[in-house]
Parts: sequence; structure tokens; C-alpha cells
Amino acid sequence: MSAPRLKLRKYAVAAIAAVQERLAYRGSFLGEGLTYALWVFVFSRIWRAAYAGRAELAGYGLSQMVWYFIAAELPSFAAGRPFWSLSDDMKSGQVAYLVSRPYDFVAYNFSQGAGQALASGLAYLAEGILLGLAFAGPLPVSSVLQAAAALASLALAASIQYLLQLAIAMTAFWAEENSAFYWIFSKLALVLGTLMPLEMLSETAQRVTWWTPFPALAYVPARILAAWPGAPAAARLLGFQLAWLALSFLACEAIYAAARSRFAVNGG
Amino acid sequence: MVAISAASLSKSFRAKVRPAGLRASLKSLARPDYRVVEAVREVSFEVEVGEVVAFLGPNGAGKSTTIKMLTGILRPSSGTASVLGLDPCRQRVALARSIGAVFGQRSQLWFHLTPADGFRLLGAVYEVEPKALGRKIPELVERFGIGAYMDVPLRKLSLGERIRCEIAASLIHEPKVLFLDEPTIGLDLVVKREVRALLAELAKRDGATVFITSHDVGDIERVCKRAIIIHHGGVVVDESMKELRHRSLSRKYIGVKYASPVDLDLGELKPVKRTPTAASYVVDTREHRLEEVLRALVGRGELEDLTVEDEDLEDIIARIYEARP
Repeated sequence: MSAPRLKLRKYAVAAIAAVQERLAYRGSFLGEGLTYALWVFVFSRIWRAAYAGRAELAGYGLSQMVWYFIAAELPSFAAGRPFWSLSDDMKSGQVAYLVSRPYDFVAYNFSQGAGQALASGLAYLAEGILLGLAFAGPLPVSSVLQAAAALASLALAASIQYLLQLAIAMTAFWAEENSAFYWIFSKLALVLGTLMPLEMLSETAQRVTWWTPFPALAYVPARILAAWPGAPAAARLLGFQLAWLALSFLACEAIYAAARSRFAVNGG
Repeated sequence: MVAISAASLSKSFRAKVRPAGLRASLKSLARPDYRVVEAVREVSFEVEVGEVVAFLGPNGAGKSTTIKMLTGILRPSSGTASVLGLDPCRQRVALARSIGAVFGQRSQLWFHLTPADGFRLLGAVYEVEPKALGRKIPELVERFGIGAYMDVPLRKLSLGERIRCEIAASLIHEPKVLFLDEPTIGLDLVVKREVRALLAELAKRDGATVFITSHDVGDIERVCKRAIIIHHGGVVVDESMKELRHRSLSRKYIGVKYASPVDLDLGELKPVKRTPTAASYVVDTREHRLEEVLRALVGRGELEDLTVEDEDLEDIIARIYEARP
């Protein structure tokens, strides 16, 4: 096997190991799956009430809106909340033990996150489709292109979600208590594109939001799935996500490089 | 040829200080106080290729901090370190390919996966060719006797079984230098003995350079040829195990038992333990001639038993620690 292949193989094997680890817990799938179902059920009822007497809101019909919510929630459920475990590792010093290996720390963590998100994401996708069929009606996908774009966008959204959580977790090297940062991030992510499409925000709020990564986390995949904007617009939306994926990755690498000198090992 | 060298290696941390009480807590919130903790101070030593060295010291002496600087985990505050000619901090990734490390309290294998999966993952991380890995894993499994638990998730293994797997895993990429930080911590006596035998065999068979930190003298007696003792962040002893053992020659433990009660005081030499018919003495042979002490004891009455023992290595090291409070 060539040296570059051997170098890249470790990240693939780490992702596969993360899939295996995720599958080790059938119980957690069940608990999180129930939460997702309950969340979708509650919001499908709320939207039904909001639509009373109306055919559409901000260009979305009721069925589209429920499908939008199902897709918007999926990446964050798939990525999970790695912030908490990563942040604990930084605070306890456990992270220091992970650096004495021949790999890129961010890429290795990302591979693990991607593996876990893939295993969870496929389960949530199946569940989401069933929930959508039950609460919203037929799947609003009319072409293979739309289905492929939606799947790619969901994967990109979960990846950006993981990297942003890693970046926030690494603030633990400077701030003793960093959970407030995550709290702000998760609430903004919920408001800016998850609970409702961006079209429902004021024009100023929309303009500002497009300068942040939040549309890449939920709005883009949900829009592509629930209200196909056409191939050129979908390509632009996927490009937006790819740009944020690259930016998030580079931000993580920069934060990690800056944090490297701050490693301490509790009890060492 | 030098495998590991440390020259005036130091590490200090800034630790937040928070005095007790509500007022102090409020004050600390507005203006936190910090104290500089010197974990390692000016530590210097060299380890030759193939040497098996014990790095000893009581809790908090700076052993683990030193090993973490040598493996590139921590950046030294001052001084330099070199392992296999590489700077652990600047050339961390290159060095990682040539060293193995086992931290007794931390796991390098994934907790929810089986050791078999963990070995494959570590093999990939260390860029071991899949074919070579296919040959290496069964060899390690046989050598460490871990075949029975290769398919059991790590979290279900006992601590002893896990440590065996951890040490085997650290050899997956055939490291030239092996760092072991408290490898027997928390193990029961039987498992400790097994792990020590494995380490002794490893050093003998592979000829690898092994650097062990421990506060358990038993680990050292069985495995190492040289001991570096660190206390309060600095090196206080650096000598061969033979030399360290020689320190025991100046101190003898004498036990004596008589058929009937006798006078057990030997002038200046007082027993450290006594009953009417038995006593124990600690004799410093630089102050008292052993022959004279034994003759005096034999002449006191009808002897039932007499023993003369060297000092335990554990006691020797404890005395070294006590001499530098």
C-alpha cells in the first residue's frame, strides 16, 4: 500500500470504528429516536394550528413545512452533542493523551464524528421519512437529482455541525466554563433556520444570517428537500455549505494550533 | 548511543488559587489569584539504547509530567528533551511513529470496542501495512495471552486484562522506545506479578529501550537495570540497580530470639522492637561492627533463632525521599 494511502487509511478506519461504536448502543438509538419522533409530532401539530385557514406561509405549504422541519432537525440529531464530551476531554486533560499519535488531531476527530453521524444519520433518515409520510404526506422529492442533493446537503450540514461544536469545545483551553458559548450557538441554530425557514425572518435578519454558518446547518438541506429551488440555486446552496465546511475545518485547525501550548494534564 | 536525553528540563503550571469562604470566592471571581507550580525542575539524564530505566518518585514528584514532556504531550517551560534524536514537542508526529506509550490510568483502546477492533484501529493510526498487521496481531495475542478476550468489549474486561491488552497494543508498530507510566497502578498482587513478568520478558527479548515511571518498587526490582529517583521535581539519585542495592549493605536488620528472658540492651544500640525473650535491631554498619554486635547477642543467653537481613529496596527509596523533605 502506498504511503499516501496508508496516511489516509487511518481516518477511514477511525470513521468505521466510530460506526461500530455507535452501533454498540441500541438503547441510545431508541431514546434519541423517540425524542426526534416526539419533536416532529409536536411541531407538526403546531404548524397545523398556525396554518389554520391558510394555504401557505412564506411560500411553504403545510406539508412542505413539516417536511422542512423533519429535514432541518436531522443533521443536528445525527451529529449529536459532541461538544459535551469533547469539552470534558479538554478540561480534564484527557485530550493531551490523544495528541501523542501520528495523526492530524482535527481530521481524526472529524473522522470519528463523521462515522458516528453516518450511523445515526441513516437511522434518523429512515425514521424521518416514516414520520413525514405519517404527519406530512408524500415525500416532496421529484427527481434523483433532488434526492442526491438533499442527501449531500444533509451530510454537509451534519459535518459542519460537528466541526463548529469541536471549535466551541476547544474554547475550554481559555475559558474554564464554556458551556454558555454552546448554549448560545445551539439556540441561534434553532432560531436561524431550524424551527422555521429563513424566509419567515425579516429581510434584514435574513441578510445578516447569510453571513453566518447557521443556514448551512439546517436551512439548506431542509430547503432542498422540502421546496426544491431548482438545480442552479441548489448548487449555490451546496457551494455555500462547502465553503462553511472548509472554513469550519480551518478554524478548528487554527484554534487547535493556538491551544497546543496550553495543554495541561490534571494530576500529572 | 543515546535514546532519551533530558537537559535541564523544567515544567511549571499556573494554578488558580481559591481560598476557602464566601468572601474569598467573591474576591476570586473579580480578581483571581494564581500560583506557579513547578512540577519539574531542571531534570537532566540520558538513557542509552536498549536500557531499561525506572523513573521513581513519590506521588506528585514530577514523574508523569516528565514522561509527558518526553512523549510530546506537554511542552517544557525550559530545557530540552530529545528522544531518538527528535524533539518530542516540535517533531511530535515523526516521534510518535517510533515510540509506544502506556498510561496506566488512561486507555488508548476504545472503551466500547473489542481489543481486536482497537488493535486494527491503532495499526491503521500508526500506518502499519495491513498484511504486516495481520501477522503482528496474532503474535501479540499469543505472547500476551489475550486470545480469550480479543472479542470482548474493553469495558467488560478486568483492569488486569485491560492492561495486558494496552501493553500489547502499544507494541503494534514495533516501537524503539516504550514509555510506561504507572503500568501496574490499581492491579492486585497476582496481576502485578504477571504484568512485571511480561515487561521483563519484553525488555529481554526485544531489546527495546524501556522507560518506566512507577511508585511501586516491585515493578522496578523485577524489570529495571537502572533507577532515576525524582523528588520535588528534581533528580536526587541516578544509579544502577546494583549500586542502589549496595546502599542496603550499610544497614542490616537483625532479629534474635532466646529460650528465656535476657537483657536486650547493647549499650548504644537499642532494639527497635522487643519482648522479654526477643528483639529486632537496625544496625548501621558504619557505626557498629556487625561481627561485634552478633557476638554480643550470641553471648546474652541460649539462642533459639537469629536472622540477619538486608534492607528492602522499598525502605532504601523511602529513606532517600525522607532525606530530602
